[in-house]
Amino acid sequence: MIAAVQRQAFWIWSAALYVFIMMPLACVILASFNYESIQSVPPAQWSLRWYGEALRNPNFTRGALTSLLVATVATIIATPIGVLGAFGLWKSKSRYKAALDAFFALPIIVPGLVTGISLLIVLTAADQATGNIKLICGHVLIVLPYVIRTTLASLTQFNPSHWEAAETLGATPPQILWKIVLPIIRPGIVAGMIFGFILSFDDVNISLFLVDSRTVTLPISIMSYLQFSFDPSVAAISTILIGITFVSTLLLERLFGLKRIFAGG
Amino acid sequence: MYPLQAISSEHRRRTSRVSNAFGASAVLTMPACIVIAAGVVLPLAYMLILSVQAPDPGEVELTANFTAANYLKFFTSPFYWSVLLKTIWVASVTTALCAFLGLTLAVSIWLTSSRWRGLCIIAVISPLLVSIVTRAFGWMVVLGDNGLINSLLIHLGIFAAPRHMMFTNFAIIVGLVHVFLPLMTLPILTSLDRVDRNIPEAASSLGAGALTIGVKILLPLVIPGLVSGITMVFSLTMSSYILPALMGGADSGMITTLIYQQFVVTFNWQFGATLVAILLATSLGIVSLLIFETSRRTRKWMVRR
Repeated sequence: MIAAVQRQAFWIWSAALYVFIMMPLACVILASFNYESIQSVPPAQWSLRWYGEALRNPNFTRGALTSLLVATVATIIATPIGVLGAFGLWKSKSRYKAALDAFFALPIIVPGLVTGISLLIVLTAADQATGNIKLICGHVLIVLPYVIRTTLASLTQFNPSHWEAAETLGATPPQILWKIVLPIIRPGIVAGMIFGFILSFDDVNISLFLVDSRTVTLPISIMSYLQFSFDPSVAAISTILIGITFVSTLLLERLFGLKRIFAGG
Repeated sequence: MYPLQAISSEHRRRTSRVSNAFGASAVLTMPACIVIAAGVVLPLAYMLILSVQAPDPGEVELTANFTAANYLKFFTSPFYWSVLLKTIWVASVTTALCAFLGLTLAVSIWLTSSRWRGLCIIAVISPLLVSIVTRAFGWMVVLGDNGLINSLLIHLGIFAAPRHMMFTNFAIIVGLVHVFLPLMTLPILTSLDRVDRNIPEAASSLGAGALTIGVKILLPLVIPGLVSGITMVFSLTMSSYILPALMGGADSGMITTLIYQQFVVTFNWQFGATLVAILLATSLGIVSLLIFETSRRTRKWMVRR
């Protein structure tokens, strides 16, 4: 009897936690369909007008273009570097392998605020002032560790007898890497790229210190819009972002498994 | 029996392959090492050196004159002390709440059947991929004066007028717990997945209740995951800027708000660098103390008798 009550209480409590996790996002989506210009949940009158307002807002469209550009270039730069790094770490027999692994996780461990500030200081000292270049420098550091992580996770599941078989048949190590290992681990690389791209697109912590008045990313333009206005166009643009994120989340789960990216297990 | 020659040639081939692989792996990891050294390590070092330079608004060049003036300014002022203590307080409360909620959430995922498990994990992780600005905005909609909670409670007749919830410590902590809960839940879940499911069953058949199993059997087994979750959440909360700034207002009283002002408003980058150094040292100190204490307390469990 007591056990049954305990079990019921536990499941109700867990359900409440899921409500807590989902509530803010659900409220953003609800608020975006409001007709009036003040936030109220649930809306008294439904409409899609704020989607039009959001897509006509030049701050948002310009921000979205900057974010797309920066995230794309950062992913293109970081992916080959990360894949090579993961290959090297995988083949390494050095006793510093564990240290190197930890070194590669450094951009995740050092808080974004600290990375952003120290990059700002160094880039200012080096007179490197162009907004896009500064942002790309920071965002390569966002994407790189995740590409390394997912590629390495795929490599550790690679069956070494494939390697030996190819070697017996006369393939050289570069040939084996290019023709056999790479196709097998491609899902891991793509998962790291998608994941890094999303984190780069969404980033505020590092970007906050690297933007200037002409180059502003989408999350930062949303943030500054929020500071002087509170109409549902923010809800509309956020809902579009949530939708894109949700689709990519499902894609990542199918491709690689979300838990492996974060917990590595 | 192998002919001697074959063994020696096999041996030679193997050693040459090992040394090749070692050389090749060093070359392969080189670009990533350079990027991380140039993007994280050197800038961090430069910033630490900047923190022992005399304050000079707008100037970032290093000089040969080192001074502890910035650190003295921080440690002799009760204002800066109070900001640091408030940051530690907020981070501790957030971490404690995350630990409690994360433990129950991880156990609930662990207990669900495999059909629902994937969905639960997506529900826990997907908010991590949504921008922190969107999530802060979501909480503004929930906690605002015309927000969900206020209109619900007024509708039910519990409140007569909207209760002010935004721009308070409560709002900051709610937002931070929401942001960092997944980062606490996942490592605990990874530890739980390593637990043999026969163990709680054995305890149950010996008469232990659900609560006893949770506290006396599962909790000690998930300590490694819990500690890594606490480490991550505490240090990330200490250095979070966006959420306190959006949900706590301009003077949230967190050290990160102060840091942002030094770099973007007053341009005293030397003192800003000092604040970052103190923030890093504090969270590193508290986290290593925690890791040291847990490993000291759990060491006796590792010894087989």
